[in-house]
This record gives sequence, structure tokens and C-alpha cells, in this order.
Amino acid sequence: MHTRIGARGGSLARCRLALCGKTSGQWLRISAVGTDATHTSARSAAGMGTVPGTELAVLLHLVAKGDRDAFEAVCGQIAAPVYGTVRSVVRDPCQAEEVTQEVLVEIWRSASRFDAGRGGALAWVAVIAHRRAVDRVRSEQKAAERELRAATTVIAYDEVAETVEANLDRERVRRCLGSLTELQREAVTLAYYGGYTYRQVAELLGVPAGTVSTRMRDGLIRLRDCLGADR
Amino acid sequence: MRSRRPQPHTLAGAYALDALAGADRARFARHMTRCQQCAAEISGMWQAAARLASAAACEPPPGLTERALVVAARTRQHPPLARGHAASRGVRMRRVTTAVTVAAVAVASLFGAAALTVAHEFGEQQQRGLAVITVLTAPDATLISAPVTTGGTVTIVMSRRHRELVFAASGLRALPSSRCYELWLMGPDGDTPVGMLPAPRDGMTGPLVASGLAAGDRLGLAVEPTGGGRRPGSRMILVVPL
Repeated sequence: MHTRIGARGGSLARCRLALCGKTSGQWLRISAVGTDATHTSARSAAGMGTVPGTELAVLLHLVAKGDRDAFEAVCGQIAAPVYGTVRSVVRDPCQAEEVTQEVLVEIWRSASRFDAGRGGALAWVAVIAHRRAVDRVRSEQKAAERELRAATTVIAYDEVAETVEANLDRERVRRCLGSLTELQREAVTLAYYGGYTYRQVAELLGVPAGTVSTRMRDGLIRLRDCLGADR
Repeated sequence: MRSRRPQPHTLAGAYALDALAGADRARFARHMTRCQQCAAEISGMWQAAARLASAAACEPPPGLTERALVVAARTRQHPPLARGHAASRGVRMRRVTTAVTVAAVAVASLFGAAALTVAHEFGEQQQRGLAVITVLTAPDATLISAPVTTGGTVTIVMSRRHRELVFAASGLRALPSSRCYELWLMGPDGDTPVGMLPAPRDGMTGPLVASGLAAGDRLGLAVEPTGGGRRPGSRMILVVPL
């Protein structure tokens, strides 16, 4: 079992170098694209521009009507954040690929359910992606839980911390995460990037579950305000 | 850590981060049905979480998007949800392709969790009983949405196979204490009271389950004296053919 975890860590490291290295910082450099949905512009906007979700919302409405070109453009925009998020949670690159594909198809199927009035398009996508990833991890966890509990949590925590560090050369997010207290930051990132429940996070950090839930909420509100003010 | 149970509202952050499981999740779902600010708060948190997703962006392996395009091309899309406020169009009916998703969305939105548009919410409805779940997950589940003449909207998810339906309403006009809303099943074999609607919470009422549907049944909503009427009288304010 230990070797399996080690192997996972190894492939994660390779993937990060081979794939994420190329696009490091890309998502911040892209400027906003127009609101008319041309596919080439959408493609180049991988990772959301400075107006996250604006263009994406327009595209989603086209997708809802079955527009495959618009869906391709949507994929161009969301594939990288979806894949990155899913992979940070499920860890295994092959499974991450599988879950990412499921998420993309789910976006296609459910585009008519996207309601721009209820929040950003990227937020909608991210919720679907993160839940899929978490579902995958938790259903697997149940099977392996008893024997692996101790080893998994300790090792995975290190990996998560590493992943987050590696990815947070994305200036604004890093800066805003930096404005949180340490416990807030750990609680939020372990839950989001690690896919842990708040009770698991409490175990990992050795603090009461009630404290963790409070820090998650406070931390997210602070993050939201920081990122919002930063736009 | 061994835990004292946190106040439900403090779980909002954990909820937005998908960090609730099992009983915690159900507990927060219950809280949301009566929480005015939850939807807006969680929506804001999701925005923040989406930035975390962007920060984790990583170019997927080659071919992944192309494969998704191929699968999408042979995947039927969900129809849009019926919207309750489209009152002028009267009763509308939609066949539900994947009942779990649609019904879950319908019920989630009915119970005030306005931002919850993802099928995952279905898990939380388990608290509302097996009967509700049976209907919502039925492969033949059908969603019906209809305006009420005196104000408000009802939403019905029905399964002919199970001969059951789940009823919920939003925005019904408040009644004096001497009156209440009562649900009826009216069919060729007579009229059966389903039950009195419970007092609304934040404008949301239900869910109620009606069983034993038969061909030709209609669902009626009546204003009755508190305690219920013996038969649906002239105070019927909505009749929906099933």
C-alpha cells in the first residue's frame, strides 16, 4: 500500500513538470475576450481572463441550444482549470483524466441549467468539477479506508501542501490566500485541493471540528472579499 | 477530532468546499431550507472557490477535450427547467430524461437553496423520506409546474410507475388562521384528501407525497377551514391534470 501511494506521488510530480509547467501563469496573463463568441478567441482564453465567466456565460447559452462549436470553445476555456482542480483532488492522473471528461460532458448536458443570474459561469463549472472529484475520492476512500487511514492522511497532506505551493505563483490568489490566518488557509486549501471533509481536516490539523468549520467559512469570506476587491 | 456539533450556519464554508459528508451534510441542508442568507453567501463562496480552481489550472493531456467532444456529440442534453414564474403560460409539463438531476434541482430550488443547481443536492433530500426519493429517482419522473391563481407556484414531480407524486409550493398567499391549504386527489372514483399543507418556511411549502395515483386523477389545491374539508368545495384554487 505504501508503494502505491509513493507511485502516485511520483506520477503527480512528473505531471506537474510536464504539463503544468507549460501553462504556469498563463491564466493570469490572458486578457478579457469580447462578448461575441468566436471560437478562436475563446480557445486562447484558456483559464479565464480578467473578467472571469463573462464570455463563458455567453458560450454556455449557445451550448444549451446544442451548439457544438460553442461547446468546443467552452472546453478550451474550462479544461485546464477543471483538470487542475480534479487532479489536485483525485491525484491519480488517469482518474483525473476520466473525471475531467465526465465533467466536460456534464457541462454539455446541463448547460441549459446554468443560470447567469445566480453567479458566475466559472463558479458553476467549478462546483460541478469539484463535486465530481470529491465524489470519486470518497467512494474510493470507503473501500480502502480502514487499512489506509493513517498512512494516507499523513502522506497526502504533504502532497497537498506541495501542490498548493507549486500552483500559487498565481499572484492574486496566492496573495489573498496569504491574507488569511494560517488555520483559515490550511482549512480552505485542504478541503478544496485535498478533497477532505472538514472533520478529516480537523483530524489532520489536530483542532476541533467546530473550529475548522468556522475557519473555513471565515476564510472563504475573506478570500472572496480579497479577490473581489482585487479585480 | 471528537466533536461538539458546530452551529449549523458555521458549516456554510465547509458546504461550499464540498467538505461535508453524511449527517453533517444533511444537517446543513435542513438549515438551508430556513436560512435566508445562505444562498447568497454560498454563491459568493463558490466564486472564491472558482478562483482556487483557476489557480490550479493545468493543461490536460492531449486528446482529452477531443474525446469529451465525441462523447458529447452522442449525449442528449437536459431540457431547461420549467420556471415557476412563467405564470401566463399556465400548466407546463416536461418529460424528465434523467430524473435524479432534474427533480433534485427542482426540489433544491423549491426549498430556498436558490444557488443549488447541481444534482448532488439529491443526497440531501434523503432526509425528506424514502417516498420522496422513490419518486424523484423514478426513470419516468415528470416535472409539472403551475401557477396558483391566488399567487404562488406549485411544483410536482410525479412517477406513474410508482403511482406517487411529490408536491411542493412556493410563494403561496398567506391565509388567516381560520383557513389552510389542503391538497386533494380527484379521480373518477372520488376525491381523496392528501393532506393539509404545513405552514410555509420562507415562503416554501412541502414536500408532501401523494400515493395511489390512478389514471384520470387530477391534483387539486383548495382553501379549507382549518382542520380540513370533508370534500373539495368551491374553494379550489388550482387543478392540475396528471
